[in-house]
Amino acid sequence: MDATIIGAWVATGLTLFIFSFLYKDNPLFKLAENLYVGVSVGYTIVKTYDTVILHLIWKPIVENQEWTLLIPVTIGLLMLTRYVPKAAWLSRYAFAFIVGVGAGLAIPRTVSSFILKQIEDTVRPLLMLVPGDGVTFSWNLLNPASSINVIIVLLGVSSVLFYFFFSVEHSGPGKAVARTGVLFLMIAFGAAFGYTVMARMSLLIGRLTDLIEYSDPAYGRPTLWLTLVTVGTLIALGLRRRSEPPDSH
Amino acid sequence: MTFAERMLNIDRRIIFVVIGLCTLLPLLYPVGLPIKISQEVRGVYDHIESLPERSVLLLSLDFDPASKPELYPQAVAILRHAFKKNLRVVAMTLWVSGTGMADELLTKVATESGKQRGVDYVFLGWSPGGTAVIINMGQDLYNAFPSDYGGKPTKGQLVLEGVNSLKDVTYAISLGAGNPGVEAWYVFGKDKYKFELGGGCTGVIAPGLYPLLRSGQINGLIGGLRGAAEYESLIGQKGRAVAGMDAQSATHVAIIVLVALCNIFYFTLRRHARQQGSQP
Repeated sequence: MDATIIGAWVATGLTLFIFSFLYKDNPLFKLAENLYVGVSVGYTIVKTYDTVILHLIWKPIVENQEWTLLIPVTIGLLMLTRYVPKAAWLSRYAFAFIVGVGAGLAIPRTVSSFILKQIEDTVRPLLMLVPGDGVTFSWNLLNPASSINVIIVLLGVSSVLFYFFFSVEHSGPGKAVARTGVLFLMIAFGAAFGYTVMARMSLLIGRLTDLIEYSDPAYGRPTLWLTLVTVGTLIALGLRRRSEPPDSH
Repeated sequence: MTFAERMLNIDRRIIFVVIGLCTLLPLLYPVGLPIKISQEVRGVYDHIESLPERSVLLLSLDFDPASKPELYPQAVAILRHAFKKNLRVVAMTLWVSGTGMADELLTKVATESGKQRGVDYVFLGWSPGGTAVIINMGQDLYNAFPSDYGGKPTKGQLVLEGVNSLKDVTYAISLGAGNPGVEAWYVFGKDKYKFELGGGCTGVIAPGLYPLLRSGQINGLIGGLRGAAEYESLIGQKGRAVAGMDAQSATHVAIIVLVALCNIFYFTLRRHARQQGSQP
């Protein structure tokens, strides 16, 4: 049998088993869930072994005599001493090296990219100086750099920062500013939630598209047959549970 | 129990069926709703469009099968566009679990476009280290990837002629489903080695990447399935993403209606409770 057809049956079956959780927790869902985790981990281990151990360590050292690679290999192996209590202290050298390199690489770049660049973008002049036209005010909401948007950003950033400023009581005019901050936060969370819903629906669309594709006779209609198997199993499980005597505990 | 109370205590499985039907029916009977092109997606498209032939496009497919419905159509659309423009495509991934899928997708689109591996495109595969790989590539691409995914030495491949590091890349796009992804490519790639960067991402992480877009740190962003559909429309090759947009719109309408109904029932109940409380 063609591997594509086997793949279609496996994919359809596992998709339907996962969907069966929407009805209630059941053994079919657990089977699919455990298979998913197992296959993901298995694939990652095999790929990592092939790429790292064989192609980046074993072959260069044995075939090309790149002995300098033994230094990172040794540092890496030191991490495994965590499993030997008497030699566990050796792992600190490896961790010190990795944390040091990681911090050295990440801190300057992260500060530059996420703090300085973002502050630079937030702090913009409220009015634009256009050569020839002098100082102008732009009302275009669609242009992120327009004056009106800069004012909205100013209001949003200031009020949200004030909302998180807990050293002053949020009363009187402060309460109004904090409430404005909450409104901006709600809009931001709403936008994030909207995108999240869209993402989840996209995943559902992806799965349903595959199920529609695999209902084709060319694949042997796995969607139809496996839906019947899944529904039948759920009914059988439900009937068996109903016929079992109630738990005495 | 009043109608409003019954509706607020509705079995959640009924809602699942409603959402399921709203997704399934438009997929079976497409309507073809219009797709408006956003400025952020156009940013990526216009930049690729402006590149001269044989420019080097680095495509980092930083996702795994879990994000396939959103990012796979984006990757297909970008690759089709790049091959149509005769760009040299250097593809890779920072996610080990997506390596096989990335190779399959690249091979499929390259074959349909009549492109040759090693001449028009190369798949470097995956290398350990996450963000360190980007830095390593910025110093020496051949040190980070001595051989491609098929085990062929990268040095000497026609597609990589004149490319020694990230500095020689004309345009890079990261299609990311998380970390490492678009942010890592900006922080450790563009900010350090000064090449132009575009992004594509899942819907979940899109709001977090908009600040990078606004500040010009990335020149375009393809967000989720909607972004993929927009890109497919731009290149004139409608595919899976466009087909899914009807379903996407239908489910969004269903969710909006459900949220509105829940709020109406909630406020009805609250008013009812207040009225009863005020009675002597």
